[in-house]
Amino acid sequence: MFFHIVMERNMQLHPRHFGRNLRENIVSKLMKDVEGTCSGRHGFVVAITGIENIGKGLIRDGTGFVTFPVKYQCVVFRPFKGEILEAVVTMVNKMGFFAEAGPVQIFVSNHLIPDDMEFQSGDMPNYTTSDGSVKIQKDSEVRLKIIGTRVDATEIFCIGTIKDDFLGVINDPATA
Amino acid sequence: MSIEPFNRLVKLTARAFYDDITTKGDNQPKTSRSDNRGIAVVVLDALTRRQWVREEDLAKDLKLHSKQLRRTLRFFEEEKLVTRDHRRETAKGAKIFSAAVAATADGHHTKEGEEKIKLHTHSYCCLDYAQIYDVVRYRLHRMKKKLKDELEDKNTVQEYICPNCGKRYTALDALRLISMEDEYFHCESCNGELVAESDKLAAQEGGDGDDNARRRRREKLKDMLQKMEVQLKPLMDQLNRVKDLPVPEFGSLQAWEARASAAARSNGDSNGNDPSKSSQGLGYGGTPMPFLGDTKVEVAFSGAEGNGENIKSETENTSLKVLPPWMIKQGMNLTQEQRGEVKQEAKMDGSSAAVEFSDDKKSTIESDDQKNIQDEYVKAYYAALLKKQQELEEAAKKQEELSNPNISNGLSGMSSGRQVGMKSKRDEDEGDDDVDWEEAPVAGNSNEHYKVDLNVEADAEADAVAEDDDDVDWEEG
Repeated sequence: MFFHIVMERNMQLHPRHFGRNLRENIVSKLMKDVEGTCSGRHGFVVAITGIENIGKGLIRDGTGFVTFPVKYQCVVFRPFKGEILEAVVTMVNKMGFFAEAGPVQIFVSNHLIPDDMEFQSGDMPNYTTSDGSVKIQKDSEVRLKIIGTRVDATEIFCIGTIKDDFLGVINDPATA
Repeated sequence: MSIEPFNRLVKLTARAFYDDITTKGDNQPKTSRSDNRGIAVVVLDALTRRQWVREEDLAKDLKLHSKQLRRTLRFFEEEKLVTRDHRRETAKGAKIFSAAVAATADGHHTKEGEEKIKLHTHSYCCLDYAQIYDVVRYRLHRMKKKLKDELEDKNTVQEYICPNCGKRYTALDALRLISMEDEYFHCESCNGELVAESDKLAAQEGGDGDDNARRRRREKLKDMLQKMEVQLKPLMDQLNRVKDLPVPEFGSLQAWEARASAAARSNGDSNGNDPSKSSQGLGYGGTPMPFLGDTKVEVAFSGAEGNGENIKSETENTSLKVLPPWMIKQGMNLTQEQRGEVKQEAKMDGSSAAVEFSDDKKSTIESDDQKNIQDEYVKAYYAALLKKQQELEEAAKKQEELSNPNISNGLSGMSSGRQVGMKSKRDEDEGDDDVDWEEAPVAGNSNEHYKVDLNVEADAEADAVAEDDDDVDWEEG
């Protein structure tokens, strides 16, 4: 699920950036530092949308670096248990398949794949129904439900299922 | 506040879930002697009959070792069925508590540290009905959810196990486990190939054929779910029944004691066992006197009854008995109830009649021999009486026949028939009256003609049958 929230961060800035575009430098450094990171509490930071306010800088003793407390608005993405996501399959093997929904990795184990889909090994490993009408392979797009999340300090990993109503392949690159 | 449905709930719960709980630690070897399964049920049942109870007393009542009981209770405390309270109090205070509980279900407060006597820690326990309701519901919910999830393979996190080192992983670890070389998961520590663990419930039956095992498991789960529904139905019904009832609440030990002692005080025997006084040493100089209250109650009980000395007063208390037919004689002044005619209505004159009745009873015993003769006489008399009545009736009928044509000459058919009928009825009545008039002086009781003679007639016949046996009985008495 996406959230638009305000976060705060202390930015350390090298003295060489001091000058006319101090402010721009702070913002660009903030974007470079923060976007794409993941915190267990808030999820993945997708994008910074604005700066609320930049506080007074504090010069560090000895180094000359300056610390600015920056409040910024950003969009975060945090997967939840029970959430329905659309994801792209990245890898298929005998144990199930892995998929990505943006920055989130999701594993669907083979017992959470419908019973009528069977694993086919080969050059392009895939899960196929007996009549061959539905095929899950690399780069397929699937809709899945998250049934478990593992949230570490810096990463989030999910397991999902496609064994439920309206879940499964939504767009197959092989047929498209 | 009805506690009964909740007690039933507790009992059902005990039998459903705690039937084969043993409180023994796992380290102790299980022998048949130390097998204490079923204790949990007994303890819970005992607790439904009590409110707050000291654990030593409970142990004594159940003839259990207090350690064993405590282990059981601690288990129930963890299961959130029972609330417990521990308190340091004097030995005397404890004694008074038990006496008070025995006598009046009273409670007491202890003034701690006011005496030099050693303080002991006493534990009290009580069922927590509100919590039990929630716990049982939650437990059922979890059971059902687990089975359903397993059945539908929903929301189950697949587990993987390393056959070499036995290390276990879940699907959440999958990202770290995939290897670059092949498509299997590999153990982090020994690089062995991981195998998916088939479900815990069906783990015993080795997962050879993947499909077969899964189907078997599904059937097993379905079966289990169905069995659960059937077997726990009484419990679920009871839960539904209890749902809207107010939950009996005893409060904390202190609150309960305060309330109980207040109730006892309002009953007027506060001086008997006001433990706050006695525990301070003001009242009774160390001897536990709360039994005073008990005796007092009893004295008042017997005093209110009046002359509680002889057996007659007992017959006064009990409702009048229906006299057996062979005891009813002419000349006895009996109530209708004693004759078995009226069941429970005429209790008003019970006491006076009973005294007379007991007198009569004596005379009956004495004149037992006479009775036989009298009965014979009565029988003969009524036979004669019956004969006479029939004769009279016949005569009346004749008269009717005679009068019938006379009147029908004068009047139309319909009305004449009616008139005749009415007349004949009156004739019959008159005939009855005549009989009674004749009988009255002989029988000698003028207050209830009809009842007496009809009854005695019947009784006399019944009498003849049962006479022999009865004679023997009375002689023994």
